[in-house]
Amino acid sequence: MQLNDKIRSGQFVVLGEFEPPKGIDFGGFLKNADLVKGRLDAVVVPEMANGVLKASSLGGCAFLQSHGTETVLQICHRDRNRLALQADILAASALGISNVMAVPGDDIRFGDHPQARAVNDLNLLDLLQLLKTLQEGKDMAGIELAGKPQFCTGSLLNTGASGGLLDMELDNLDQMIRLGVRFVITTPVFDIHRFQQFIKRINTLQVAVIPTILLLKSAGMARYIDRNMKHINIPPETIREIQKAPDKPKKCIQIAGELIRQLKALGMAGVMISTVGWEDKLPQVLSEAKL
Amino acid sequence: MIVAEKKPIEEIIEEIKDYKKILIAGCNECVTVCEAGGKKEVGVLASALRMYFINNGKKMEIDEVTLERQCDHEYLEEIRNQIGQYDAVVSLACGVGVQFMAEKYRRIPIYPGVNTSFMGVTEERGVWTERCQGCGQCILARTASICPISRCAKRLLNGPCGGSTNGKCEISKDLDCAWQLIIDRLKELNRLDDYEKLLPIKDWSTERAGGPRKVVREDVRL
Repeated sequence: MQLNDKIRSGQFVVLGEFEPPKGIDFGGFLKNADLVKGRLDAVVVPEMANGVLKASSLGGCAFLQSHGTETVLQICHRDRNRLALQADILAASALGISNVMAVPGDDIRFGDHPQARAVNDLNLLDLLQLLKTLQEGKDMAGIELAGKPQFCTGSLLNTGASGGLLDMELDNLDQMIRLGVRFVITTPVFDIHRFQQFIKRINTLQVAVIPTILLLKSAGMARYIDRNMKHINIPPETIREIQKAPDKPKKCIQIAGELIRQLKALGMAGVMISTVGWEDKLPQVLSEAKL
Repeated sequence: MIVAEKKPIEEIIEEIKDYKKILIAGCNECVTVCEAGGKKEVGVLASALRMYFINNGKKMEIDEVTLERQCDHEYLEEIRNQIGQYDAVVSLACGVGVQFMAEKYRRIPIYPGVNTSFMGVTEERGVWTERCQGCGQCILARTASICPISRCAKRLLNGPCGGSTNGKCEISKDLDCAWQLIIDRLKELNRLDDYEKLLPIKDWSTERAGGPRKVVREDVRL
């Protein structure tokens, strides 16, 4: 069943995130996707996450699709103007990609090409409007297209926002839903209690909320994320558990699996598992989560 | 200088129509030179607005002032004692002045009376053209003192492109090809050999693309 139908019918969806390589050797990328073939509903292919050069999301998606894996294309307004965005979106649809996710992209200054000039011709909501317009059969100049693309459209949601920022995030979500967003992938979730408080404020009948499960690698990584990434909180018990464990990778896999089980029990629409370099451990995470 | 153009009066009227007393504040620097927001333009705008509101039966009190600069604390301070009596200010300074006044006088709405356009020169009376984009890494030493970032449509660092025809740019027959100008001037300076030296790929991090910019000079700070 396609991702779109699965979301629509309210079944639990399982997504995995695979970054394309920095280079042209797609062998490892394909191998990792094949390891979990049939166990994921789709692979999310990031568009140069953290502003670090990699092969494009469009290229990665087209490659995996040609090997029989459904994908979610990330479209990012950081590096492309409205012409380039529309061109890639049309090409993606023609290549059989049926899921897209609009993302703003991390600031170029924090990536590996800080000398580059960011584009940002459109913002995130403009980009969603553009996706809607194209699906109605017209381009941004109002000119009719030869064939309409059809997508299951998604975007991002920051579950770590609080106070006034949270209100803004929720307003933003309303606008996204109005612009046709059917699913949102959240920032990594580690604290289920906190996440439950957040999710209470969202009408999950209107939009499928898909929390990100980030596979930790060590207590050091967990501490670093907790201290330095503003919108991600990792409970101290989680960090202690990893510290105490004799087999730390195994513990990290167990933590991820347990979080997935809890989120499924909470009735979430699905999960997006991000293994950042440990893609070969994804099958174990899925088994741990009983998926 | 910073070049600006007067906003259409209809746009200004739309912004201020619900107030009763406004101040129009000009600036004696760049916008005076480009005849968009100096004392003369303050007077013309004030008269036009007074006429408009009288003709429309609306009581509107309009005062005028022109400051030496609106991008410096000391000159903006000159209106501190009067500004409280106004419902709003229309500033004819560039966007810098409008914002700096708004930062200083937080409770008074400050509206822009001009569209700030670019950093440029008066080519001739009534004609202003762009010369600098403030990219933060000046390359004029290498381009015969003619800036391809601000004057070439493609911002080419090694030009010209194939769109250069008879010294003009492909986007408009009224626009000189910056690279033709560079080559011509290199010839005049007897430095045409410099044209063979390729400029490296530009680092845009010091341009606006790298985020809002700031210059801090510890040696001159108080």
